[in-house]
Amino acid sequence: MSLVNEFTKGIIRENPLFVLVLGTCPALAITTSVNNGLGMGAAFTAVLLASNIVISALRKVIPDSIRIPSYIVIVAAFVTMIDLIMHAYTPALYKALGIYIPLIVVNCIILGRAEAFANKNGVGASIMDALGMGVGYTLALVVMSGIREILGAGTFFGIPVLGASASPALIMILPPGGFIAFGCILALMNKLQQKAS
Amino acid sequence: MRNIIKLGVFLLVVAGLAGLGIAYVNGLTEPIIAGQLLESKLSSFKEVYADADEIKDETDTYLKGADPVIAEINVAYKNGAPAGVIYTVATAGYGGPVQSLVGFDIESQQTTAVKVISQTETPGLGAKAVENSFSDGFKNKDAARPVEIVKKEPVQGNQVLAITAATITSKAVADGVNAARENFMSNFVK
Amino acid sequence: MSELGVIIIGAIFINNIVLSQFLGICPFLGVSKKLSSAIGMGIAVTFVMALAGTLTWIIQSYILNPLGIAYLQTIAFILVIAALVQFVEMVIKKTSPGLYKALGVYLPLITTNCAVLGIAIVSIQKNYSLIEAVVNNVANAVGFTLALILMAGIRERIEESDIPKCFHGFPIALFTASLMSIAFLGFTGLL
Repeated sequence: MSLVNEFTKGIIRENPLFVLVLGTCPALAITTSVNNGLGMGAAFTAVLLASNIVISALRKVIPDSIRIPSYIVIVAAFVTMIDLIMHAYTPALYKALGIYIPLIVVNCIILGRAEAFANKNGVGASIMDALGMGVGYTLALVVMSGIREILGAGTFFGIPVLGASASPALIMILPPGGFIAFGCILALMNKLQQKAS
Repeated sequence: MRNIIKLGVFLLVVAGLAGLGIAYVNGLTEPIIAGQLLESKLSSFKEVYADADEIKDETDTYLKGADPVIAEINVAYKNGAPAGVIYTVATAGYGGPVQSLVGFDIESQQTTAVKVISQTETPGLGAKAVENSFSDGFKNKDAARPVEIVKKEPVQGNQVLAITAATITSKAVADGVNAARENFMSNFVK
Repeated sequence: MSELGVIIIGAIFINNIVLSQFLGICPFLGVSKKLSSAIGMGIAVTFVMALAGTLTWIIQSYILNPLGIAYLQTIAFILVIAALVQFVEMVIKKTSPGLYKALGVYLPLITTNCAVLGIAIVSIQKNYSLIEAVVNNVANAVGFTLALILMAGIRERIEESDIPKCFHGFPIALFTASLMSIAFLGFTGLL
């Protein structure tokens, strides 16, 4: 039961992007198409999962005073591996995400989960935590990129959805559109929270 | 003091293991990445000049010194003889450099096709340069006459319809084609 | 010379690091509530980015590339930046307590500022020379500082104004950023 809880908390209640407002840089930069959003989410989840497993397995071995540098090295190693794997097997996505793949290293969510969860909990719970946070972040990216792609390009997953007569609001896939979409979503989250409390 | 050495050694071991892991993955992926880069280069060459048995990089033969626009010249061979030329050109667009491939047929002395391979133009406007609706306008142009960008339906053979609201991008592509055209005329047309 | 000018104008206005490349959003939203802290953060980031840009370029050109281990770039750069930030913090603390008091709080935040790592990698990807790389880093840092200070100036006023409750905090800051980003779009095509 508690494992299920570790999984579900990341999806809505502690959604890393919409509730904790972490990992904003890639969320604004690459959410111009759903494809990119999904790809970024998958890469991010893979890194988080791998780093959570290793850090929770080594939590009794890593000396406390140098835990942060150790985490950074571990996370950077996994990011580089994902970077190489994506370059080899998904070249189009690799090109679209560009510099934001190596920048997963400095995504505060990953170091945050290592510090707040993986170094205090077992491997099993850490896996569930990573999956929950990863899925939550991916969902958030897909929502963002869905809104921006439909409004800004008139397509969803590259398939036209608005009909030929509608002309898309170009601004939504330009940089300002990222800020607008994210601002609207956060305002909506605030509204929902105020209603709940 | 001993403690510091212990911590240092620990970090070193972690970094060493991480480095080994990356090196292993790199060993697995490196040939795939290299193969893929080559393949994507060849396949985009094929898109601008389809009918070739072999494509050779002959930049050094046909380009004297560094050129501000032309980056690479590849010659397409058919039955052992040069049949077409593929230029890699880079010109300044609206949001940064626009890189394109320009293909010429030696026999007909015409362009075969133009393909924009990398750009940072405005999405929805200049970025449409990668679409066929624009680049098809550059097909089968006489290499002897400069290509010209027009905003209304082209009436003459050397005119190409600009992308709506992205004249600078359209002109950037045309500049690249014209630079390639001049080199083609001086090297491959006798 | 003019090439350096192109890099500077491009980095500050056209491809502003925050408003069009989306690097360093966390401090942009987090430290832009007060003008004074925005200025402090801006100076600290400029300082670290100039040093980090120089150091990472040297490491890439003289260690990683000759040894054929360019794939260790990410891990090497992040370690250099983390160590550099610690080192700068220690030096400032020893030599200039006044400066430390002003910048100290912002320094630890910079390690996870993706702007530093991001621009270091971009400078390498663009094949810049050492001078171009350093200029690119400093210009981007200036662009960051500019965006941060503009944002702080606007936010200090927004705090006073009457806006719907659910827009308080991040949402209104994001809308502000969006309008600034639209304004900066006007610079495209300048060069």
